[in-house]
Amino acid sequence: MYGLKFPHSARTREIRFVLNGSETSVRVPPGYTLLETLRYVLRMTGTKEGCARGDCGECTVLVDGVPVHACLTLMSQVEGRSVLTVEGIDRQHRLIRAFVEEGAVQCGHCTPGIVVAAYHLLSQVPRPTEEQVREALRGNLCRCTGYVKIIRAVLKAGEA
Amino acid sequence: MQHLADVEVYSVRTLREALELLSSVKGLRVIAGGTDLIVQLKTGVVPKTNLLDVSRVDELRYVRFEDGILRIGALTTFMEIYRSELVRRHAPLLAEAAFTVGSFQIMNKGTIGGNIVNASPAADSLPPLYALNAELKIVGPRGERFVRIQDFYKGYKKLDLMADELVAEVRIRPPGEGYVGHFFKHGLRRGDAIAVVNGAVLLRLSPEGIVRDARVALGAVAPTVVRSPSSERVLVGSRLSPEVMWRAAEAVVNDISPIDDVRGSAAYRRELSVNYVFMTLYRIARETGVVA
Amino acid sequence: MTAQRAVGAPVARRDAFEKAVGAAKYASDLFLDDMLWVAVLRSKYPHARIRRIDTSKAESHPNVVAVFTHRDVPVNRYGLFKKDRPVLCDDKVRYIGDPIALVAAETREDALEALKLIEVDYEPLPPVTDPIEAMRPDAPKVHDDGNICREVHLRLGDVDGAFARADVIVENTYRTGAQIHAYLETEAGISYMEDGKIVVVAGGQSPYRDRAEIAHALNLPEEMIRVVTPYVGGAFGGKDDITVQIHLALVTWKTGRPARLVWSREESMMAGTKRHPAIIKIRTAATRDGTILANKIEIVLDKGAYTALGPAVLDVAVENCNGPYRVQASQIDAYLVYTNNMVASAFRGFGAPQVIFAIERQMDLLAKKLGMDPLELRLKNALRKGDRYVFGNVLEGSVGIAQCLEVARSHPLWRSRGRNSCEWPWLRRGVGVAAAMKGYTIGALPDKGVVALELLRDGRVLVKGSFTEIGQGVIQAVAQIAADLLGVSVDDVEVVFADTEVTPDTSVTSASRQLFLAGNAVREAVEALRERVAELEGRLSGRRPARVEFSGGWVFIDSERRYSLQELARLLESTGLGRQVLGVYEVPRVEPLPGTLEIPHLFYMFGVTLAEVLVNLLTGEVTVSKVVSIVDAGRVINPITFTGQVEGAVAQGIGFALMEDAKIRDGYLLTRDLSTYLIPSSKDVPEIEVIPVETEEAEGPFGAKGIGEIGIISVAPAILNAVADATGVEPNAIPLTHERLYWLLKEHGLVEQLRRAST
Ligand SMILES: Cc1cc2nc3c(=O)[nH]c(=O)nc-3n(C[C@H](O)[C@H](O)[C@H](O)COP(=O)(O)OP(=O)(O)OC[C@H]3O[C@@H](n4cnc5c(N)ncnc54)[C@H](O)[C@@H]3O)c2cc1C
Ligand code: FES
Ligand code: FES
Repeated sequence: MYGLKFPHSARTREIRFVLNGSETSVRVPPGYTLLETLRYVLRMTGTKEGCARGDCGECTVLVDGVPVHACLTLMSQVEGRSVLTVEGIDRQHRLIRAFVEEGAVQCGHCTPGIVVAAYHLLSQVPRPTEEQVREALRGNLCRCTGYVKIIRAVLKAGEA
Repeated sequence: MQHLADVEVYSVRTLREALELLSSVKGLRVIAGGTDLIVQLKTGVVPKTNLLDVSRVDELRYVRFEDGILRIGALTTFMEIYRSELVRRHAPLLAEAAFTVGSFQIMNKGTIGGNIVNASPAADSLPPLYALNAELKIVGPRGERFVRIQDFYKGYKKLDLMADELVAEVRIRPPGEGYVGHFFKHGLRRGDAIAVVNGAVLLRLSPEGIVRDARVALGAVAPTVVRSPSSERVLVGSRLSPEVMWRAAEAVVNDISPIDDVRGSAAYRRELSVNYVFMTLYRIARETGVVA
Repeated sequence: MTAQRAVGAPVARRDAFEKAVGAAKYASDLFLDDMLWVAVLRSKYPHARIRRIDTSKAESHPNVVAVFTHRDVPVNRYGLFKKDRPVLCDDKVRYIGDPIALVAAETREDALEALKLIEVDYEPLPPVTDPIEAMRPDAPKVHDDGNICREVHLRLGDVDGAFARADVIVENTYRTGAQIHAYLETEAGISYMEDGKIVVVAGGQSPYRDRAEIAHALNLPEEMIRVVTPYVGGAFGGKDDITVQIHLALVTWKTGRPARLVWSREESMMAGTKRHPAIIKIRTAATRDGTILANKIEIVLDKGAYTALGPAVLDVAVENCNGPYRVQASQIDAYLVYTNNMVASAFRGFGAPQVIFAIERQMDLLAKKLGMDPLELRLKNALRKGDRYVFGNVLEGSVGIAQCLEVARSHPLWRSRGRNSCEWPWLRRGVGVAAAMKGYTIGALPDKGVVALELLRDGRVLVKGSFTEIGQGVIQAVAQIAADLLGVSVDDVEVVFADTEVTPDTSVTSASRQLFLAGNAVREAVEALRERVAELEGRLSGRRPARVEFSGGWVFIDSERRYSLQELARLLESTGLGRQVLGVYEVPRVEPLPGTLEIPHLFYMFGVTLAEVLVNLLTGEVTVSKVVSIVDAGRVINPITFTGQVEGAVAQGIGFALMEDAKIRDGYLLTRDLSTYLIPSSKDVPEIEVIPVETEEAEGPFGAKGIGEIGIISVAPAILNAVADATGVEPNAIPLTHERLYWLLKEHGLVEQLRRAST
């Protein structure tokens, strides 16, 4: 796949899962993280890496509909499950529109992970309070915006 | 940074398969949510080994209330625990703690079994489990056995658990009517943060405001989570006055032995332990109308 | 069709959509077939002599293509002010992140494994990690020529006379910490050969400057190197210096292969630059009525191991250390000192957050001593337009500090000051104020920006400049300015940025100056286009027109003729005049004061921060519950990007003030990840109210000022002043972590007092 090479010592196996609605099969080491697979193997780079250890939330994806860190998810753990990344969210979704209109995006590196986390929140709580938004995003760091416009965008998308 | 490309991962769906592999394949390490283990493997804190992925053993993911006992499967995540009506009703302390475990992403993946076996003295589920006198069900090739949470920890990250055993269930006997309590946690940020000190205070108050039973548990201030008998002794039989609250709070220093680390000094942890126990007692007193 | 005015309109950013859907490509998102994965071996010691480096085992590891050391670097020193930084260490290592060797392998895993096989024989040397100690003559030397990298000594006005006359004298020492940029995208890039050139695509702030550094180190002509800066996942000054660029270029140059190097978070924390930690001593002389007569100020900045942009940071510290006040006289002694700590360089505010923290705490302490309201004390001394500042320079640009202070004075938050009690007995509320200033655009150093403006055949406009999009929204602002100047809709302006092959040199993206420079260069380009149209008209009609106006997608010539921009493009092309013009803007400047690089500036930005805090007396935790940021913004080009910049700066200021605690012991960084080095989360940043005070900056494009930095500068002192208001204790060091404040509260008996009160 795109010529990604594994070391000689690697143990690979075929792993099947559903990625953004499509049956997907990759041959990777089961100890690879989902983040490594998305970015290095599949070159789907919408999901970002900020720390690779659960501290920043940039790699947030939904596994079986629940937000988790792709950097802390082994491929063995996604086998047979369904994964939704930012690329799988409808580009016309009101959340995306709200992020653009409210100016919630600056450097944008944190944005995909936050969009995924907020997308899930809205699917659970269609009209969240500010407090609920802050809690749901407490693990998604943003260094540029001070969160003000991000929170406003999620609230706005929740009103629609 | 370590890579895990050469790690073999065995995936199982049932507890039986899991136990069989644990007995037959040497050096396997269990991975549940992986939120502790993956970080530890990548940073080299834990030597690289082959893994047994139990994340799909669905029979260990449940919250049930049977025979007067709250039973939580080891693979239940903190989000599931936080959301569980049964936990909120029978062990609200634990629900409070569950909500503070990392971020939502961590709550969605981190399991109570992982939190227990990882055995960090700062683990947030442990002070409530200590205060609630929880018991663990441990399964292995020799069958199942039950261990009180206090007895499970033998020292810093030393456990009463064999390499071929798994923690299967957490059992809590609800303390009963008249108990009030809170979990507390001091992090260095309001968002996702590991505790500098955490703990739980659980009291039974008589209608006159006399403490009939007291359980004070503290984390991140000793090699394992500890109960504070000194503090509990001050409380039992007394009316919850500010003076008693301070005395009970100060008594905790007899039962803790904190150390310096990157998040705080031992001396600060000692002060926080005292002050948090006071604040939590005060909060309970106010909620129950004992103080204004 | 008439174009809507774009400047001042809250237009959504053009890059927002592609970023929000995950389609935007950052340097770390680029992969090339057949590329090598590069990993860097970094020093284990803060200070050591290198006796020997043995790479043979690493070289024979399977899949390793090459291992490089200093022996492979043609010119092994780089740096913007002083070429003192090794590309790969040779004689010594001077901090724990110092790079020693590069491994280029076919896989990421093999690169990591091979690092462990490189043997370095070190002779550990005693490190010097305290800048005060480093200034002693007998201290271990970081560099052979001593530990003082630079010093500035200024004697301005009659300082001794002022102190002799003073009714009150206040003296304090302030300290600030080594803030880490912690941008979410770590330092990253790829490189490859194309048409005989080395192409480096990397996160950075100034492609031309990076190109010059690469060319110097590889001893190649600049034309052989192309630097492209795609979207950058945050920079804040931390990507002003070289990070991955030279290493990547070296690997590609030596192997002919594409390469990828992305720093891990831990690497970024250690090897990336920091904000200079500062120790600042201020002695202030004032009269009883609150007139400040003079400040004696001593500044020591911990430079870390290499010079980087330190000299400029020191100058900014010196220039702004008296604050936005009419100070008659000042004695300033400033030192930039090498240590074996991690390298400090540019970080949003560039030295101003450190000195403003000091002077603004000092103002509150002076107010306390005088029994004056701290806001009134500031207003009384505030600079006004036309004033002569302490360096003798007359402030001819806009000076909005008094207006900002007046807005603060009537703000409900300030008026609520004094209500200190809270729901729980252990909580105290406080409100604090602090003012900020900073000179902007490089003052006395020559500074010039060029942009190209091309009229496309379809009548749309293309602006090209080397400015970088580090999140601040410069491409959107440039488009808005060009749209208005050319009378077209903002959607008809395309912007190409940051590629040394296709964009001219618009100078560097730092010091809040990019928009100022680029905007003015666009204005010059439009003038050049006007000139070009006049020339065209001269050719076509034999007579030079008197007036050329752009409006609604047309160009009007005198009031006789008009062409659509599409027609104009065709005419310019067919007549051979060309569709592209250049705009060149040179920043007006003044002669620097002797002994300084760039003091004073012509332009200053100003601001005031109000902060409300809740302090827990039993834990030392400070919760910031509200921030009001009042900014002298000049004209606001885009209210969304403007408030966004300020809000982000405030959040960084909160981190700087309270929680960003880089723990460094004996040169070793203990907080190497985002779980121990904490930056504010969505639950730590409160509601932020941004109030622009629009005072036109005559020289700025559309009266705009630089606004990238001002928002952070007075946040920390406002928060600490609020803590002092809440508790009565006077903390003078940041970050004011829970533990630090707790011990202060305890020392002042507050914990005991609370206990006595409740029993
Ligand atoms: C960013 C971040 C934030 C965090 N914040 C917090 C926090 O605020 N509070 C807190 O308490 N923790 C926190 N943690 C730690 C971690 O998330 C929790 O401890 C979590 O509960 C671990 O569960 P897990 O299922 O992910 O464990 P794993 O990582 O899968 O396993 C942990 C250990 O337990 C063993 N193990 C797991 N399950 C079993 C079982 N059933 N039987 C036997 N052995 C088993 C594993 O072999 C391993 O040694 C955080 C972690 C991260 C990365
Ligand atoms: S990259 Fe996964 S949380 Fe930071
Ligand atoms: S927009 Fe840059 S990190 Fe959030």
